[in-house]
Amino acid sequence: MNVRGNGLMWALTAAVLVFLYLPLLPPLIFSVEPADPQQAGWTWRWYIELWSNPLLVSALRTTVLVGAVVAVVTAILGLLAALAIRELGLPRLMLLLMLVPLFIPGISMGLATAFLFRLIGLPPSLPAIIIVQVLWALPFATLVILTVMSTFDPVYLEAAYMSGANRWRAFREIELPLIAPGISGALTFSLILSFNETVRTSAVQGPYNTVQTYIWSTYKQVGLSPTLFALMSLIILSTLALAFGYLTLRRRGS
Amino acid sequence: MELRTLGRRVLLAIPIAFVAGFLLVPLALTFIVSFWERAGLKMRPAFTLASFEAIVSGARLVVLERSLLVAVEATVLSLLIAYPIAYFLARKASAAATRMALMLFTVPFLINYIARNFSWTYLLSRTGPINGALIALGLVDGPIDWLLYSDFAVFIGLISSYMPFMIFPLWLSISGIDQRLLEASTMLGARPSATFWRVTLPLSLPGIFAAVIFGFVGSFGESAVPIIMGGVGYELMGNTIMSSMDVLNYPLAAALSSIVILSMLLLIVCWYLLFDLRTFLGKILRWRLAA
Repeated sequence: MNVRGNGLMWALTAAVLVFLYLPLLPPLIFSVEPADPQQAGWTWRWYIELWSNPLLVSALRTTVLVGAVVAVVTAILGLLAALAIRELGLPRLMLLLMLVPLFIPGISMGLATAFLFRLIGLPPSLPAIIIVQVLWALPFATLVILTVMSTFDPVYLEAAYMSGANRWRAFREIELPLIAPGISGALTFSLILSFNETVRTSAVQGPYNTVQTYIWSTYKQVGLSPTLFALMSLIILSTLALAFGYLTLRRRGS
Repeated sequence: MELRTLGRRVLLAIPIAFVAGFLLVPLALTFIVSFWERAGLKMRPAFTLASFEAIVSGARLVVLERSLLVAVEATVLSLLIAYPIAYFLARKASAAATRMALMLFTVPFLINYIARNFSWTYLLSRTGPINGALIALGLVDGPIDWLLYSDFAVFIGLISSYMPFMIFPLWLSISGIDQRLLEASTMLGARPSATFWRVTLPLSLPGIFAAVIFGFVGSFGESAVPIIMGGVGYELMGNTIMSSMDVLNYPLAAALSSIVILSMLLLIVCWYLLFDLRTFLGKILRWRLAA
């Protein structure tokens, strides 16, 4: 491809990025718009009002709590899965199995787990929400950890064994520090995916609301409002902060 | 086997047990429930094809056909956008630029697509900025109606939700192609276009197939986009499953969901049998996948 072709491709890439980033703006704008269209300027009113609605405060609390648990559990499971793919045999099949949640539509996954929870008598609850979100985040966490792990040469482990370390010690002292960026990546991605999950969660939420399920059910009942835009802005801004924060830190580290 | 090794194996098997127990078993349950019968607001174990008959005979067959068509079209359109970008990033752009671009494509994918679709309803509305810009530029006389609550809007929603993720498998498989094969093709006198059609494209098929499965899954089973972007009465498989759940008709929801899940599993099995994950994920999994 010549220089002109490259320019054209950069233009296409940039156009697609604009197409993807453009929808992030309207919620931010609408969340600071005064109720009266005649009134000029902008307002924090909708953000302040969030805290006077007990339903919303509990939804925010649930979102943060569930997100934290999902991040930690998914990162641990993702690490174990990556090790299993490397060590247990049948790596292709195992990798495929770990990727299956990616390929099941959200509503089918939510419905299926709801059937299981009913069968084993687990009522709609925070654990039920955590399980479906871990399931959704696990393929991403596994892939992130696998990617970093592949840059690690297992010869270092052999060296550690020969110097008398047992497997656990070799893993903890040699491999773990080297794959730490993968684990922090898995934590960040899982937290973000948890914050942004709606459809799977809403199938098993019962009386509990996360910010996302609150937005979705309110939209279906009464439509959009400045309050919902304020909530969306919180999610968008925290996701951007987490994602770009992690990626910049990691790049500086490497 | 030494007890310690056994303990380690059990530990490593936990994630697999987790996916098997909380996803594969539930999917099997979905198939079973799809044969159950509805009794008032509850359901009763049985073996009846009533739910499937309700799908095939009623208006839901149209929903199934439309879902298939919309999913195939959205996937093809997404592929036509994602492949050139992935090709460009894998072959032409510098490593630093590629890393930056891939990062920029990841972030909007992570942000809740429902919120992004809400934004599109504003951007595409009669009084929204896109209609405003078209009128200001004198391209149209009045606002265009079909921008929102239409097939067009649903395609915008589906493509913006699922296309970003399709770039990754494509980029992985294109950048994993052995450079020497391309050089060999050129040295044997093939023009660049012939090299592309006869070497690059066939060798990137695993990535194309992975991207297609992902785009198709997203679009075929999507429940929120048709509600937000399609408007009242725009039914696809996903939101039909949702509305069956809302009226507590679980056997019907299970039957609809079974159709979606079965088509996914079929695609995944084909992918697994046709392509070696090693060639596809070669960059990620350099070690020990030969086992």
